[in-house]
Amino acid sequence: MPRPLMPHDTSTPFVQTNTGKLLGRHWALFFLLGMMVIFAFTGPGFFEVVNFQNIIHLATISILLAVAETFVIITGGIDLSVGFVMGLSSTLAARIMVTLGSTGMGEPLLIVLGTLAGLLVAFIPGFISGTLVARFKVPPFIATLGMWGICNGITLHLCDGFLPIAGLPSVLPRLGNGYLFYIHKGQSFTLFKKPDYIPDERVRELIRLVPFSFILIGAVVLVFWFILHKSRFGQHTYAIGGNLDAAIRAGIDVDRHLVKIYMLSSFLAGLAGVFNVFQTGIGNYTTFSSMYELFAVAAVVIGGASLLGGKGRIVGSMVGVLVLAVLKNGLAISGVQPFVRYIAVGVLLTFAVIIDQLFPDLF
Amino acid sequence: MNTLVAQRKRNALGTIGRNWVLVFLALEFGYFAVLTRGFASLHIVQMILFYGTEVFLLATAELFVIITGGIDLSVGYVLGFATVISSKLMVVFASRGLSPLGAIVTSILITLCIGLIPGFVNGVLVAKLRVPPFIATFSMLGVCQGVSELLMQGIPAKNLPPLAGTIGNGHFLYIVPGSGISFMQRPDVARGVRVIEIIPNAVVFALIFIAIFAFILTKTRFGQHIYAIGGNIDAASRAGIDVKKHIIGVYMISSFFASLAGIIYVMKYITGKADAGAASLLDAIAAVVIGGASMFGGSGTVWRTILGCLVIATLETGLRMRGTPTFDKYILVGVILIFTVVIERFFPDFKR
Repeated sequence: MPRPLMPHDTSTPFVQTNTGKLLGRHWALFFLLGMMVIFAFTGPGFFEVVNFQNIIHLATISILLAVAETFVIITGGIDLSVGFVMGLSSTLAARIMVTLGSTGMGEPLLIVLGTLAGLLVAFIPGFISGTLVARFKVPPFIATLGMWGICNGITLHLCDGFLPIAGLPSVLPRLGNGYLFYIHKGQSFTLFKKPDYIPDERVRELIRLVPFSFILIGAVVLVFWFILHKSRFGQHTYAIGGNLDAAIRAGIDVDRHLVKIYMLSSFLAGLAGVFNVFQTGIGNYTTFSSMYELFAVAAVVIGGASLLGGKGRIVGSMVGVLVLAVLKNGLAISGVQPFVRYIAVGVLLTFAVIIDQLFPDLF
Repeated sequence: MNTLVAQRKRNALGTIGRNWVLVFLALEFGYFAVLTRGFASLHIVQMILFYGTEVFLLATAELFVIITGGIDLSVGYVLGFATVISSKLMVVFASRGLSPLGAIVTSILITLCIGLIPGFVNGVLVAKLRVPPFIATFSMLGVCQGVSELLMQGIPAKNLPPLAGTIGNGHFLYIVPGSGISFMQRPDVARGVRVIEIIPNAVVFALIFIAIFAFILTKTRFGQHIYAIGGNIDAASRAGIDVKKHIIGVYMISSFFASLAGIIYVMKYITGKADAGAASLLDAIAAVVIGGASMFGGSGTVWRTILGCLVIATLETGLRMRGTPTFDKYILVGVILIFTVVIERFFPDFKR
């Protein structure tokens, strides 16, 4: 009797060997390494420290959103609103900075206030979608799709239609794109700031190492890795995704936990939005074709999570983000048309899931 | 006696509950009709239908998939893919000396055939390779976007046969009061003479296909099997339904409707671009859910989905006529979407 759409009934002898298991478990990592080897030959300048630094710096937003999505997906839900919550935080932070700036407030204070506003507002959509999912039993897909629309509408109000918010303090992009170390070969070495004798247009002569974004990424990944894998909160998250009934019987306050998860996800999206202001120096709304939430879900799935819940790891999701980011960067450096990337991501993602189903019991 | 009254009361409430979308639509229309001068007119009603055509089709596409318990994220970009292919083909055929009508019809037929491919691949991935619908159709979204951008090379198709626009923006029936009527063709009348235009061609095309598939869904064995699969997939396969074949069929129907929407887009706006349907995904899914379908599968009807579409289309046209920013629509659609599902949670018996 055929049992369609149900996993767990295909396995070949190879996947049960030790090599097979290792490959299956870490296929995304091997794929990443293989891709890097190929791009090292096809793309001039791909295999350089500066380029790798760039890849990660430019992937900051994807990393934050993927961490957010990892938590939600482990509970068996999905958060489609992250991309637009990000836009909301970004535009609100920028709008507040611009408004306060016009009253003549000092730059440090208005940056702090704008950042806080951007971060705090992000809790609201998360609280609403969490409450809808947990207490009103609205499917996560619908609840967060609703917030998607609502956040997008409010964002577009904040930026008067489709106009990014400009006129922010010029120190913002310098902070967001600054580096920890600046080395002028054989001449000077400075921390945090480029040496004054080098004008902006010659900044490429410097060797710049460790962007500030690394500190943010490192802190976020470390904290949320700890929360997910080492704390009771994380264990409960896995329990809810693995077996909801068992989690309730074990005395976990599932409703409360789910609200927290969606707030956490939304907060990380807000953090990504505020970082976006620091990185670009303007308040950006989220366009329809950017699909941040879908790429974040894709990264998490490539990293080995299951949309059915109960499965997924922070490190895996990071590998997933890197696979997509290296693919984008490598194809661009190798001179492939940008559109091919969309096709490549699509093929890769399907491939990820099919492989995942060949190794059902490894995670 | 008391219970009888209570029951009658419950029945009345139940009728409203079951048809609350209709009530909501009436209230919404009334609201705009009172606030905006000239809203309650034949012209505006037709405009609502005309601008809503793509969403009608995309929502019907989504409905079939949602009934089986799946989701199709690719519809918007399959629409874009179809606009690019059909506009390119029209230009090529017209430049090869085919008559405009011949070029248009041939390209439409070819596009509809090519448009089945994304759905077929989605269906095979979901049914045979057990890829979750969310992932399979998102992958297809990327592939369609990439392929259409590659075909387009950044330049939207130009020099389409003007006839395409004439058909797409034309009406089915023209009435010149006092002198006669004509079908499909605008009568030659002096400037200033009033011509009443009835039912845009785009809407006629869309409704014919929607009606055919509504019939298939409700009256044929195939349709009943789709509901059965969505309701309980194990039971359906034990009952001897070839689940895989049906699921592949459903995803093909979905991408067929998405391509149809793409063709109508080309005929309406005389251009084709990859992201033509990017913003329509929310509308399409929202329309299906507002129309009372469950995301878990097994329920939903074409008729109610169309009501859901009308709620959104009326909102959009109403807001545009009032001069409020059109992006208020996104907020309201989001609110209505959530509101719908919460209502149905509170009144579970109201569901079909």
